[in-house]
Amino acid sequence: MTKVEKPLSQFQIALQGFRRNRMAMACFWILVFFYLGAIFADFLSPYSFEMEDRDYSYCPPTKIHIFDEHGKFVWPYVFAMNLTFDDFHRRVYHEDSEKKYPLKFLMKAEKYRFLGVIPSQHHLWGVDSPGRIYLLGGDSRGRDLFSRILHGARISLSIGLIGVIISFSLGLIIGGIAGFYGGKIDEILMRVCEMIMMVPGFYLLLALRAAVPDNFNSVQVYFSIILILSFIGWAGLARIIRGMCLSLRTRDYVLAAKAMGLSDFQIIIKHILPHTLSYSIIAIMLSIPGYILGESGLSLLGLGIVDPYASWGNMLSEAMSIVHIRFAPWILWPGFLILVTVMCFNIIGDALRDCLDPKWKGAKE
Amino acid sequence: MNLPREIHSFLRIFLVFVFLLVPSVFVLAEGVSPHHGGQLVLATTSDPKSFNAITAKETSTTLVTSYMFEGLTRVNGVTMQVEPHLAESWEVSEDGLTWTFHLRDDVQWFDGQPLTADDVVFTFQDLIFNDQIPNSARDIFTIDGKIFNVGKVDDHTVKFILPFKFAPFLWGMTQEILPRHVLKAAVEKGEFNFTWGIDTPPGKIIGTGPYRLVRYNPGERLVFERNPHYWKKSSEGDQLPYIEKIVYLIIQNVDVGLLKFLDGEVDSVSLRGIDYPLVKPREQEGNFTIYETGPDFGTNFITFNQNSGKNPKTEESFVSPYKLAWFTNVHFRQAVAYAIDKKKIIEIVMNGLGTPQSSSMSPSSGFFYNPDVHDYEYDLDKAREILKREGFVDHNQDGILEDLEGHPLEFNLYTNSGATDRVQMAGIIRHDLQAIGMKVNFLPIEFNNLVKKLTADFDWDAIIIGLTGGVEPHFGKNVWSSDGGLHMWFPNQAAPATEWEKRIDEIFSQGVQELDPVRRKGLYDEFQVIVSEQLPVIYTVLGNTVYAVRNKFGNLHPTSYGGIFHNLEEIYIKENYK
Repeated sequence: MTKVEKPLSQFQIALQGFRRNRMAMACFWILVFFYLGAIFADFLSPYSFEMEDRDYSYCPPTKIHIFDEHGKFVWPYVFAMNLTFDDFHRRVYHEDSEKKYPLKFLMKAEKYRFLGVIPSQHHLWGVDSPGRIYLLGGDSRGRDLFSRILHGARISLSIGLIGVIISFSLGLIIGGIAGFYGGKIDEILMRVCEMIMMVPGFYLLLALRAAVPDNFNSVQVYFSIILILSFIGWAGLARIIRGMCLSLRTRDYVLAAKAMGLSDFQIIIKHILPHTLSYSIIAIMLSIPGYILGESGLSLLGLGIVDPYASWGNMLSEAMSIVHIRFAPWILWPGFLILVTVMCFNIIGDALRDCLDPKWKGAKE
Repeated sequence: MNLPREIHSFLRIFLVFVFLLVPSVFVLAEGVSPHHGGQLVLATTSDPKSFNAITAKETSTTLVTSYMFEGLTRVNGVTMQVEPHLAESWEVSEDGLTWTFHLRDDVQWFDGQPLTADDVVFTFQDLIFNDQIPNSARDIFTIDGKIFNVGKVDDHTVKFILPFKFAPFLWGMTQEILPRHVLKAAVEKGEFNFTWGIDTPPGKIIGTGPYRLVRYNPGERLVFERNPHYWKKSSEGDQLPYIEKIVYLIIQNVDVGLLKFLDGEVDSVSLRGIDYPLVKPREQEGNFTIYETGPDFGTNFITFNQNSGKNPKTEESFVSPYKLAWFTNVHFRQAVAYAIDKKKIIEIVMNGLGTPQSSSMSPSSGFFYNPDVHDYEYDLDKAREILKREGFVDHNQDGILEDLEGHPLEFNLYTNSGATDRVQMAGIIRHDLQAIGMKVNFLPIEFNNLVKKLTADFDWDAIIIGLTGGVEPHFGKNVWSSDGGLHMWFPNQAAPATEWEKRIDEIFSQGVQELDPVRRKGLYDEFQVIVSEQLPVIYTVLGNTVYAVRNKFGNLHPTSYGGIFHNLEEIYIKENYK
C-alpha cells in the first residue's frame, strides 16, 4: 500500500515557514516568557508592587552570596543593607554582615490573590524580613524593581492585546461595510477615518486623555487608555480592509452567496473578511508595539497609569533625570524591556508577513 | 627680615611650590580690585510673556523687568531690611499716615530724561490704581477698598497719604516706577495693557535699572547690556554696574541647564537636592563653588477642602457632607500630620538636602519666623490612635476605616503632574495614609486644571501644592485671611467659618497697622502657632537652596532670600579668571 501524503493546508505551510525562521521563534518564546511572567507576577515576585522600604531608596541590585566569609560554598544568602549619605550626598550602601538571610523558595510572605481569585501567601522565592532581595535594585522609594516590572508587565503587555482586539474588530467591520456597500456609506466612513488619521497620533492621544474626567480611579484610567488607543488605531486598518473588500465583493463566490440569499452581514463576516485574515494578522502584530509605546508615553508624562500602580512607562519616568541614570542606572530596566518587547513583536510581524503573504513570498524567491 | 637661614630657604621652596602647582591662589589675590567688563551667562526655562512690569504675572516676565526697573526702596538681599533706592530718604508723620519720599536727583531714564516725582505719581495713580489695568500690586495697596493718595510736592518729592496705618508700607515701595513721558500716551488711549509686549523692539523699553535689554530671540536668548548712565556708584566711586553684559539662555528644562553649567556654558545654576551628588564632586576640577544658603521659601503642603458652600448651578455641595465632617475635624487633620514621614521625604525627594517644616513662615525669613510651634513627629501609631478616638474603625476588615455612619474613609488627592518632586512626595504620603487605613486615590493633573479646582470649581478633597513664601507676613494675606482668594481650604468666605480663622483675620488686620516691630512679631507668632494647631495646611518639607557658581565673580554674597545675584550691580568679574 502506498502511503497517501495528505497535502498540507495553507495554514500548516505558513506555520512551517514561521518555524523555520529562528529569529522569529526566539522572539516568540521571549514574548511567551514575558506574558507568563505577567500572568504569574504575584507568585514569581518576592514582593508586591506596593511594598516599599524607604531605607532601600535607589538600593543597588542585592548581592547574592554563594560563598561564605571563609570561602566555603554554601546555600545562597544575602545581607541587609545600611544606607548612609557621603559628603557629596551620594547614597552609599553597606552590607550589614551581622545576620545572614538565606534565600528561601516557596516561602510565605505578603498575601495576594493568585490569578486574581485564589487567596495565597506563597511566593516562589524571597528572603525573610527585614532582609531584602532586590534582584534588579530598588527605585526611589525603595520598592523592588523586579517585582514592579513583573506587575507592570500586566498593564503594559495587556494594553497592547486588548487594545488591538477592540480596534481591529472596529476596523474590520467598518472597513468591511464601507468596502462592501461602497457609495455614500463608503464616502462617509472613509472621510471619518481620514479625519482621525489626519491628526498626529500622540497629540490626539493627549487631547483625548485630557477629556477623561480627573476623578477616575486607576482601573477606570486603564480602560479609558485602552479605549483611547483603540479609537486612534482602527482608522488605518479600516481603510485597507475597505480596499480589499472593494475587489473581493465582485468575486464569483460572493455573487454566488448573494444569489443564494445570504444576508449582507453574513456575507461580510463569512465570505469577505476571512480573505483579509492574512493581512490582518500581520497588521495586528505590527501594531501592538504602537499600543505599548502609547501607554508608556502617556504614563511617562504622568497621564497614564499612576503611582502606586506599576507600568513600564511610569516606572521609566523616574529615569527622566540624568542624575538618577548616573547613580542608579538600573532604573532603565523597564525601558530595556519595552525595547525588547517592541522588537519581538516587529520581528514576529515581519516573519509572519514572509510566510502568510504569498505575493510577498513570490517576490522574494 | 632676619629669619634663620633654613626656614628662609624652606619658605622660598614652599613659595615656588605654591607658584608652580596652585596658580589659582595668586589669581585670587591679584583679582581683588573690581573692574568693568565681562559677561554673565545664565539659563532660564521659560520665555518672558511681556516686558510690562505692571501687568506681569509670571516669574519669567519679572525676571526680565527686574533688571530694567527699580522702586523707591529695595530689600537688601543679605539683611532682608528695606533700604533707600530711587528715594534717598523719607519721613513719616507721627500718626504713621503721611509718608514723604525724597527722590535722588541723579537718576536718568535710559533715554536721558530725568526721573521726577511725576513718574512716581503716574505709576501709582494712572497705572496701579487704574481699573482698566489688571495688576497684582493694586491688591497690596488697597486696604478695605481704600487706596492711597499720591501727590507731587516738588520735582523730587512725593507724598503718600494712607487711609490708615500700613506697617509693611516701605516693603510695598519696592514697586517698580515706570516712565510717564513714554507711557502716558498709551494709557490715555487705553492701550497700556498691550504696551511693551514681547514684540516691542528692546530699545523702546525705558527704565532706570542697571541693565537694559538689547536683544531678545524667542526660545533662544535674552541679552542685557550695562546702563552706562546708571545712578549708583560704588563706595570707591566706581560707576556701577561692573559687568558689561548679561546673557540668558532659554533652555527646555532644568536638566539641560545643569549640563550646560557642567560644560562651562552657564555661569551659575540653582541645584536641586538630587543634582548635588552629581555636581559637588566636580567643584575643584570645574572651578566653581557650591553655596548652601539654608531653607528655601517655597513651601509644599497638603490641604483638605473645608468649603461648606454649594455649586450655584447644580445646587450640589462642593464636598459631600460626610467628607466635609472629616476634613473640618481638626483631629482628622492632626492624624494626617502625624503620618507624614518628613525625614524620609527629605532623603528620597531632596537627597537629604531639606528641612522639615512646621511653621507657616520659612526659617530663612528671619525676624518673623516662630520656631516654637506645634510639631508633628512621624508616628503612625499615634495617628491610628487619634482616628480610633474620633470613631474611625474598620468594621468590615477590608483595611479601610469607616466613620461613625459607615462611610469608608476614601478621598481623592490631587497634585500637579509636572512637578516630579511633588508627585514623589504625594506617593510617599499616600502610602502612609493607606497604612493608617485611608484609601487615597492619587490623581496628578495638569497645573492649570489644579489651579482651576482651587480657585473656581472647589470640587476637590485634598491637594498637595506649594506657595512661594516671603519675609513680610502681611503679603500672605490673600492666603490667610478668610475672605482671601487663595484661602485654599475655604476661599472667599463672607464671615470666618471658625473661631480660629476669625482670630487669624484679626491678627492680620491688627498686624498691618501695628508699627511697633516687637508687638507686631508677637501677633504673627500667635498666627503661626494657631496654624500649626489647627492645620488648615499640613506642611511637609522645605528644600534647601543650593547654588553652584563659577569662581569668576567678586563681591558675591549669596543668600536664600536674594539668591546669587541680588547685588548684581556690585558684582564684578575677576580679571584673571580663565
